[in-house]
Amino acid sequence: MESIGLIRNFLKDRLGVEPENVVPGAALAELGVDSLMMLELMFEFEDRFGIKLSRDIKTPRSVGEMVSLMDRLIAQSKS
Amino acid sequence: MCQRRVAITGLGLVSPYGGDLADFFRHLCAGESAVGYLQTDDLPRPLSMPFVSCPAFDPDVALGKPLASMMDRFAQFAMAAAFGAWDDAGLPRKNEAENRDDWGVAWGTALGGTMAYEKGYRELWQKGRERLSPLTVLLGMNSSANAHISIQLGLGGVSMSHTVACASSAIAIGEAFRRVRSGEATVMLTGGSDVPQAYGVARAWEALRVMAPGDAETSATACKPFSAERRGLVLGEGGAALVLEDWDHAVARGARIHGEIVGYGTTCDHSHLVRPEAEGQIRAIQLTLADAGLTAADIDYVNAHGTATAEGDPVEVAALKAVFAGRAATLPVSATKSMHGHLLGGSAAIEAIVTVLALRDGSIPPTAHLGQLDPACTGVDHVTTARHGQPLRAALSNSFAFGGSNAVLAFRAVDL
Repeated sequence: MESIGLIRNFLKDRLGVEPENVVPGAALAELGVDSLMMLELMFEFEDRFGIKLSRDIKTPRSVGEMVSLMDRLIAQSKS
Repeated sequence: MCQRRVAITGLGLVSPYGGDLADFFRHLCAGESAVGYLQTDDLPRPLSMPFVSCPAFDPDVALGKPLASMMDRFAQFAMAAAFGAWDDAGLPRKNEAENRDDWGVAWGTALGGTMAYEKGYRELWQKGRERLSPLTVLLGMNSSANAHISIQLGLGGVSMSHTVACASSAIAIGEAFRRVRSGEATVMLTGGSDVPQAYGVARAWEALRVMAPGDAETSATACKPFSAERRGLVLGEGGAALVLEDWDHAVARGARIHGEIVGYGTTCDHSHLVRPEAEGQIRAIQLTLADAGLTAADIDYVNAHGTATAEGDPVEVAALKAVFAGRAATLPVSATKSMHGHLLGGSAAIEAIVTVLALRDGSIPPTAHLGQLDPACTGVDHVTTARHGQPLRAALSNSFAFGGSNAVLAFRAVDL
């Protein structure tokens, strides 16, 4: 569950969103993540896990989609 | 062409004293310096210099975390000052009732988002990283301040920034003034902000040998414009904003009018990058008076550029003497940079506010720390302690920048 922790820390730090609101069903847009914040969040993720995201990746809309994407990429990078 | 009158209906700033507008002006009138002693932990050699900081400014509180995190510090100052001026003008931040498509922003900044780029260089060269945050471009661009202001206040007209060294915000205010006067804009939000404590910037200023020295004990009195003992300027961070509004529009909505902006003139010495010439300054003052329909006899106060450099101060006094002639000896002049420091692109905006408040309240703030007047700076009425109860009719604010760019603004008190 490293991914959800990273997302919670990021949203708390950048947008002041309380971690208990960062749940799988929450829409990222409603938490205040616009396209720029999404870029920044992806950047943090790449940085933290040493992964390079492909440019044509489908932008996740919910926290849950973001977590699955991140978990999948982390798993791929480890295998 | 029918020209509109231009009312100043909103004033806002991030005060180095930490309080509101009235508190800021009270400190200035009391001759109290905001200059402190800046010490950083920069490598390889920390900064240690007299400097004006705004330690009480918390961008997360002033702007909210999401907005603050999208801005470099100079834009945070801009946005906070703009919100302050907007609220002061009694205008709603979110508007649905009135069309704001011809309302605009003209901002002044000399350095823009230098801090954002400096942070990038540190990441790359000091920390050995290979990439930078994608937000760096948006934090660093000089026009980020005006863009954020337009977005936050829903202003659909021109949104621009002016970079003219120490005259940046004088020119921003002047250009904003012209747009309202001509009828192109109903309201213009204008002003300036800068954050000169980026390590590379502060070191570069030191190298120019124009910075006043000082330590923990002496920094507060380090900036002494017009004094025989002056040693140079003191840099400071901050931001200041004004709302300029079509007079009839302001009256129709029952706005409080702080003062009237009536003239603007700008020239270039066209001779030297850093050695000012009286001739260019004289032309700027004369253009401004003519633009305002005022004569030298109408001016009751001049807020001088007065940075306390060896070369600048006597040239400015010479220019004032040339324009004001017989009136010069009784012309009240003060340089408030002695207290709020030199905000570079934000200077003219904070000084415009000082000038408007002086006219409105009938109080002239002093040049602080002016003990022994330099014989080369005599010939005007140097105000060294505040004068209250003055029936001030009109005033000028001078900005004479590196590059030889000069800009002067003229203001008139509201007839009560």
